[in-house]
Amino acid sequence: MNKAFFFLFGTFLFLVSVFSYLFVESNVFSFFFASFAFNNRLIVSILFIIVISIFFLFYLFLISKIKEKSITIFDVWKIIFLTCIFLLFSYPAMLSYDIFNYIVTAKVIYLYQENPYIIMPIEFIREPLLEFMHAANKISLYGPSWIFLSFIPHFTGFQNFTFTLLTFKIFNLLFYLGTTVLIWKLTKKIVSVALFSLNPLVIIETLISSHNDIVMIFFMLCSFFYIQQNKKILALLFLFVSILVKYATIFLAPIFIYLLWKKNQDINWQKIYKYSLILMSLPFFLSPFREEIYPWYAIWFLVFTSLVNKKIINQLTTVFSFSLLLRYIPFIYWGTHAGITPFLKIGVTFFPLSLYSIYYWIKRRYA
Amino acid sequence: MKKLNLLLIFFVLFLSIQSIAFANSSYVLPYPSSMPGSIPYKVHVFIEHILKYWYFGSFSQFKYNRKYADKYLIEAKVLFEYGQYPLAIKALEKSNFYFKNESDFLVQAERENKNISEKMMLLKNASQKHIEVLEKIKKEVPEKFNWSPEKSIPYELQIRTIIDKAIKDRMQVYE
Repeated sequence: MNKAFFFLFGTFLFLVSVFSYLFVESNVFSFFFASFAFNNRLIVSILFIIVISIFFLFYLFLISKIKEKSITIFDVWKIIFLTCIFLLFSYPAMLSYDIFNYIVTAKVIYLYQENPYIIMPIEFIREPLLEFMHAANKISLYGPSWIFLSFIPHFTGFQNFTFTLLTFKIFNLLFYLGTTVLIWKLTKKIVSVALFSLNPLVIIETLISSHNDIVMIFFMLCSFFYIQQNKKILALLFLFVSILVKYATIFLAPIFIYLLWKKNQDINWQKIYKYSLILMSLPFFLSPFREEIYPWYAIWFLVFTSLVNKKIINQLTTVFSFSLLLRYIPFIYWGTHAGITPFLKIGVTFFPLSLYSIYYWIKRRYA
Repeated sequence: MKKLNLLLIFFVLFLSIQSIAFANSSYVLPYPSSMPGSIPYKVHVFIEHILKYWYFGSFSQFKYNRKYADKYLIEAKVLFEYGQYPLAIKALEKSNFYFKNESDFLVQAERENKNISEKMMLLKNASQKHIEVLEKIKKEVPEKFNWSPEKSIPYELQIRTIIDKAIKDRMQVYE
């Protein structure tokens, strides 16, 4: 991999980091360009489309280079570290305010010493974070594993808001790196590592928005890793921890029952990953029944698409990842979740995928 | 004209009766749950003990005690209505116990530097509602009741005195 690429990619990541600060609300930090995104919606929407398009171009370029075998695993690691360093300092509430929920949930239990499943953040009237929280009137939605683990970034944040934002970002970043290591250990394929860890959706949702889904995925992969080592108790323990982060991995219970029952040498791991992909797609596609499809939920199954590593699945999930990131645009542009926004979100989610499916069908039929 | 006047008087009376029926406080009490002697009641009592540990923290404990102070008040009301005075008094005493805890946990929360203004308002509303219910019960129950248990000595239940004490406890919070 030549230096020009690293320079270009590094510059792009730096600009993405700067771009994220356009979304800072003036009541959170007072910069000279605070609230820019809310006052210049058209410009920011166009910029966002450009950002994700360039991100995907880099991604496709890297995947093609890996397939040509002109990139080593060390190059991939260099790119991953570069991405981590630049995006660590990006503004996490660019697309989602979940990081504030994580911080306040940790405060409810570790500072106020209240049960976050009983007491809502809004009940602490003097809590300064309430000013810019968007879900203060909800009890904790996260599992006990997450709440227990969140004491690490909470304590290392020393009650300083900016520092706590950073510690939560570092915390999720470490799980992202851990997940990357596990994918490598499970597959020993550079392309599998890149397919997941360099996917712009995974990068944006994990390294910018700092969603805790990556923590759930890390423990789930630990479970797969240990079951392959025939350490079944450890595997079950990690699965249990994973389920108690965000509950979605409960859908993998049938797979683990099968794995515990079968002898290791009789297991076809490609089939296991394929079925896991199907099972983890279920909570994703069922999520509209609870609230809506959130782009970061795709991480639940994207990890398995990288493990399965089939051409058509990779192509479809790449298009789908792009579409899911487009879901942010109606809100960025209109600034509301009501009105036309929900319909446009559905449109942008499935239109590129349908278009690609038609293209693929025509290509296969007439090629 | 006479008919119209009568209709008007009837309408005004109807409206005034309606206004009496409305509660003075906006606080809403729960529906009655299972009653003593049933299996679900035993299950509820067991859950109540377990939940005491789940509701850790002063605000959580405030919530827990409020929940059970209300629950047992309604239980007492139903039992008084059915003339089950010893059971009703037992339920009322439990409600008193939880009600006292409510204010104790608010004091603890204040000591922990938590802003209790909203919770204090809630407690005042709850006490007002409790007083309303207790006053209503007081009008409907006898002053005293001689209770003769099957296997022990009969004794006299000072029902109104017990209710008066419950009202007094709540008054202290309300004022």
